[in-house]
Amino acid sequence: MNARPSGRSLRARRPAWLASLAALLALACAPALSAQVVADRWGPNPPASAEGHRVDTLFWLITTMISASFVIVLLLLLIPVLRDRARPGHRASYDHGSSLHDKRFTAIVSVIVFIVLDASVLYITMRDLREVVWNIPRPGGNTYQVEVLAQQWAWNFRVPGPDGRFGTSDDIVTINALTLPVDRPAVFNLASKDVIHSFYVPDMRVKRDANPGAINQVWFQPAVTGNYDILCAELCGYAHYQMHGTLAVLPQAEFEAWQQEAGALALAAWDGNDSEANWAWEWKENTP
Amino acid sequence: MKPRLLRPASALLLLAGLAAPLLAGGGQDPPHGAAPPAAPAQPAPQAGVPAHAESLSSAATEGGEEPAHGAAAPAGPHARAPLHVPLRITEPARVVSPGEEYVDSLAGKQPGRFRKDGEHWVDNTGEFAWDEDEEIYWQTISADQLTRGRQDFVQFCSSCHGLEGDGYGRSAQHLRPPPRSFQQSTFKFTKVPSDKLPNDDAIITLVRHGLDGTPMYKWAVSEERLHDIVQYIKSLSPEGSGWRDPTNEIGAVVETAPDPWTDESAAIAAGEAAYHRNQCYGCHPAYVTAPRLNEIRGVDPTTAYGADLTYPKLKKDSSYEVLGYKVAILPPDFTWQTMRYSADARETYQTIASGIGGAGMPTWKGAMPDKDLWAIAHYVRHLTDTWKDKPGRAAFMAGLRKAP
Repeated sequence: MNARPSGRSLRARRPAWLASLAALLALACAPALSAQVVADRWGPNPPASAEGHRVDTLFWLITTMISASFVIVLLLLLIPVLRDRARPGHRASYDHGSSLHDKRFTAIVSVIVFIVLDASVLYITMRDLREVVWNIPRPGGNTYQVEVLAQQWAWNFRVPGPDGRFGTSDDIVTINALTLPVDRPAVFNLASKDVIHSFYVPDMRVKRDANPGAINQVWFQPAVTGNYDILCAELCGYAHYQMHGTLAVLPQAEFEAWQQEAGALALAAWDGNDSEANWAWEWKENTP
Repeated sequence: MKPRLLRPASALLLLAGLAAPLLAGGGQDPPHGAAPPAAPAQPAPQAGVPAHAESLSSAATEGGEEPAHGAAAPAGPHARAPLHVPLRITEPARVVSPGEEYVDSLAGKQPGRFRKDGEHWVDNTGEFAWDEDEEIYWQTISADQLTRGRQDFVQFCSSCHGLEGDGYGRSAQHLRPPPRSFQQSTFKFTKVPSDKLPNDDAIITLVRHGLDGTPMYKWAVSEERLHDIVQYIKSLSPEGSGWRDPTNEIGAVVETAPDPWTDESAAIAAGEAAYHRNQCYGCHPAYVTAPRLNEIRGVDPTTAYGADLTYPKLKKDSSYEVLGYKVAILPPDFTWQTMRYSADARETYQTIASGIGGAGMPTWKGAMPDKDLWAIAHYVRHLTDTWKDKPGRAAFMAGLRKAP
């Protein structure tokens, strides 16, 4: 059983073949070329954290490669549909694709697709996880620590006052408003009072669940001053959509002035007998 | 035929794929086994449940194990979360009605429903009834309405205000200022003079408006459901207090006089003088230097003040209790904190005029001329608009604090 069309008919259509190949290549490149246009117009804001570009790189790499593969597969489907369409003088041929040639072809394509798509994405992902996501800065030094206590439906933030320590009378506690210094790594210690929430700062390219009964950590280093959204990315009940905080990233000098003043006001608001209001955690014992 | 060989192989692969997660997950301890249990293994402390509430979900969760858990478990804030959430209320509740005017207006709107008996109305539905001894209308809220209100309350409000309205839901832990307890009947921002209970409209307006800077958002709940929720909230007062105490007066949102000021800067200047002359700086910060303050007050120019003159002063031992502790309340610094319900001069006027229940802010309406109240409202809004979250704020405050 001969699965191939006759050589004569293939030769006769050479110009059409070449044209399809050229179109295939052009279309495969199109997603890559248009990615920037799409990102500028409909994409997220540019990353405002030092390592946020890694997420974008990976996102666009995957999007481009998947789009290109999709176009290639579609075109390869289109060729036999046109070439072997029903017409006078053309006989249908039936093939299970079980010849050694076909199997070899399938195996080679699979290996290439795996190496180009999966392996490269896996490699970049593992590299980013190792170098950034899992590489949480140690407490102390330049690191700015934040305790985040999520609840239905708000973010409670506790940051140290001018003394730099948690659990003291000048701890700055805010609801739905967080202030960070620029160019200093900020580590977030996330927990929840009630249900699972997810701490999501899209402009910093950070998202991490806040679970009751456990402390999850996530970090980023703000690189651009400004105001950003803090959202909840885990459906947490009726007012989930209203669970919205604001992140203000200030230059170092302005931040220090803010910290002084907020610390002074926290001191004014501090009631040492109200043990329930002072919810600083014990993770600080790990501080070197 | 060759293709058939592939079938057993793919079937095996499929099976392996399905079984892998099961094999990997089963029989192993969770990786975070050391984390403290999040959910309290505690039975429903029925003490907090009103007597008229009936449990719907007796078979809901591990009902049989309860006594064993409850015997050893320590009492603590977490112990409050019950395993059973009673959702149906079987008995009607009798509360103080919003007042004679309210019943009069209702009689006007629904002519067939009321008939006059002497001076007072008789409600054919039995909802409102005149009490000769107390000289008030009682309102009887039907069990059906209470049940509807309770079900929405549990869905929308209970995470903070507690399943039984005690102001200590799971999400209220550590929260300062604390959410209202509807068993204490102290309300801060209903814009009703602080010695009176708010009427239904005042509560509904508050729920619609929300409180800025707190998890009390602007609630988008339909009018009918909100009405039922408010009826349920009123029924939460313990016997002999709140809406179950016939001596309590129900008030409306404080009457807003028309704004007498047309010139904004004149209003702000007058407001600055009125703010400091009326000693608002006794709790809130002063926003002038000490010499200027003496000038405004017309006292000895050498009068000295404490170092906290330009800071808010913490009010301890407020009348508001959480778990038996009288929480401290910090009056806002208008250049720093978010005002809860004062988005414009009119709302600010209402807050000052009505006072803030339980927080030490008295009802100012009547205590000073309306013109001064409006001037202070303009001045306070001006402070917030000019300095809050603005870069110049630090220099402004430093200028006030600098030694003369």
